[in-house]
Amino acid sequence: MSLKIFLDDKEVACKPGENVLEVALRNGFRIPTLCYNALYDENRSGACRLCIVEVTGGGRPGLQSSCTLPVSDDLKVSTKSEAVYQARRTVVELLLSEHTQDCRNCPISGACNFAEFCREYDLNGVPVCAECPNQKEGCLLSRGTLCLGPITYANCEAYCTRRGYRCEGCHSALGHENVLKFGLQALHDAGFKPDEILKAAKIFSYDGVKRVETVMRGMGIISKGDKR
Amino acid sequence: MINNLQLHVEHLTRVEGHGDIVLNVKNGSVEKVSWNVTEAPRFFEAFVRGKPYDQIAQITSRICGICSIGHTLASLKATEAAMGIQISDQSREMRKLAIHAENMQSHVLHLGYLTAPDLFGVGSVFPLVNTSLDVVKAVVSMHRVMNQFSDLICGRTTHPVNLVLGGFWRTPSARQISEMRQKLVSIEPTIKQFGELLLSKADALPRFTRETEYIALTSDEEYALYDGDIGSTDTGTCPVEEYRKIVNEFAVPQSTAKYTRHARDSYMVGALARFNLNSRRLCPAAIEWAKKLGLTPVCANPFMNNVAQFVELVHSREESVRIIDEMLSSGLKNERKPKIKPKAGEGVGSVDVPRGILFHDYTYDLNGICTKANCVIPTNQNHNNIQKDLESLSPTLLGKTEKEIELGLEMLVRAYDPCVSCSTHVLKVHFAP
Repeated sequence: MSLKIFLDDKEVACKPGENVLEVALRNGFRIPTLCYNALYDENRSGACRLCIVEVTGGGRPGLQSSCTLPVSDDLKVSTKSEAVYQARRTVVELLLSEHTQDCRNCPISGACNFAEFCREYDLNGVPVCAECPNQKEGCLLSRGTLCLGPITYANCEAYCTRRGYRCEGCHSALGHENVLKFGLQALHDAGFKPDEILKAAKIFSYDGVKRVETVMRGMGIISKGDKR
Repeated sequence: MINNLQLHVEHLTRVEGHGDIVLNVKNGSVEKVSWNVTEAPRFFEAFVRGKPYDQIAQITSRICGICSIGHTLASLKATEAAMGIQISDQSREMRKLAIHAENMQSHVLHLGYLTAPDLFGVGSVFPLVNTSLDVVKAVVSMHRVMNQFSDLICGRTTHPVNLVLGGFWRTPSARQISEMRQKLVSIEPTIKQFGELLLSKADALPRFTRETEYIALTSDEEYALYDGDIGSTDTGTCPVEEYRKIVNEFAVPQSTAKYTRHARDSYMVGALARFNLNSRRLCPAAIEWAKKLGLTPVCANPFMNNVAQFVELVHSREESVRIIDEMLSSGLKNERKPKIKPKAGEGVGSVDVPRGILFHDYTYDLNGICTKANCVIPTNQNHNNIQKDLESLSPTLLGKTEKEIELGLEMLVRAYDPCVSCSTHVLKVHFAP
């Protein structure tokens, strides 16, 4: 027996028992997800909430995670409505607020889509390191270069660092304080002195410099009175 | 004959930034013509204050997206002058490559994308794709090579990361440089082809002359772009440290950019000024093209700035190949950057960038923190001359139709290749009582 559902008004054939996400991916629709893994049948936890879609007809209308939404005949789903975009953006933002962003030491760094999703949903919350191919070997920090990559917003495909130049911090200091913290820790661990870091961070805008100062103070790297 | 006309070209297109042309004609005579710079001021001189010496060039580079290499070099030269930093001969030659790369990049952009539509009588470069695809292709291929050249020497096509105080962050390898040489050689026929096109369209450039003072860097050794003294067609040479005597900046109500004047009411900078002062130091091929295109010093037709840009394009390409050959034969060294100790002092740096002579002047305190900055941008220096040229050109256009008048005035401003955004400095603040 075969069913049909409508994805963005396009008719798509599917079988009972399938979920909307797998049908959509099979038919070339793009739905972002972090936790879904097609190899494991049971891994449809609906945990990351990124695959949210909007049911517009043939079922209970509203936003639902597509990996936990079983297909039913004549189900109408929108994969890219404004409500979907906004909901996914909130999801990415919430994930970002809890994320350590320690890209240099993360086992899947380089193969992670999180940076991409941040870009897609206009949340440039990841550091240049997330896009930099030098994370594992040849990191400029380990060569004694004060690269601003760990504390600077990405979205530049790490143009300079991947070619061996240090990051000059064009996109300013990261906005999320806990994200910034890991970057500053990386600089600190690489052996740079607090005043060196603070001086280099002067290139950022007034807000950026202030953020770096606040976080460094919070981390205890600099004391309350220190200010360059 | 037009007797009464109120012409207001708001936001002139195909120039960098925002500027308006206003022309009022009453009873057959020009009542008012003015070049208004309406763009918001940029505050660069204010916000480099308090920044450490090694970040100034990165910040001031952002004054312009087209001549960011020139701004970086002028800025580095100023800081190096203030702190007595010496750079090696190889670094100096490499920086000359950087300025040639930018010169070509910018001239191709102006001639190919901004001026060519006027010569063909169309509104932008896009209609040319249908009618003269080979021209557009030639322009794009030249531009691509020049971008790659900038990218190799400067680390990026804009806002260079490879140019640092005391020299270079990383020296490009001999292999990369010789590959680039190959590309520069292979682009020569395309430049020639573009020259032939310019030759066939030379009649489209209006014949208009107004005696003008021309100011540019000048040097006994070469066609000065990176180094030299300030030269004027009226008053001879003076060292760059005395630039204030040359530029004499002043503010006018219709403009957010400062105006300048020297020996006369106004002066011009840019490719034409450089050509008028230094033409005998051009390479033979460039001299030949200048002759072919009817450009002889001292040429007082601002529209010929376009031709001078092409002549410089030919020169910069030849000169780049020559510098690369010299570098490769003497062997590229991977040099260590000098250790820099911040020092208090003032330094002036000057580079002749695509649109003319550029000055950066910084004062540093004992810790190397910038306490004062002054940047005089080429287009600042041209604004006054654009105004005077408009005043002199507009009465001669009155016999034409409104459209032709508008085009004539627009072409004049465009010939200067003005970079309006770079030049805006003045802000009048009215405080409430």
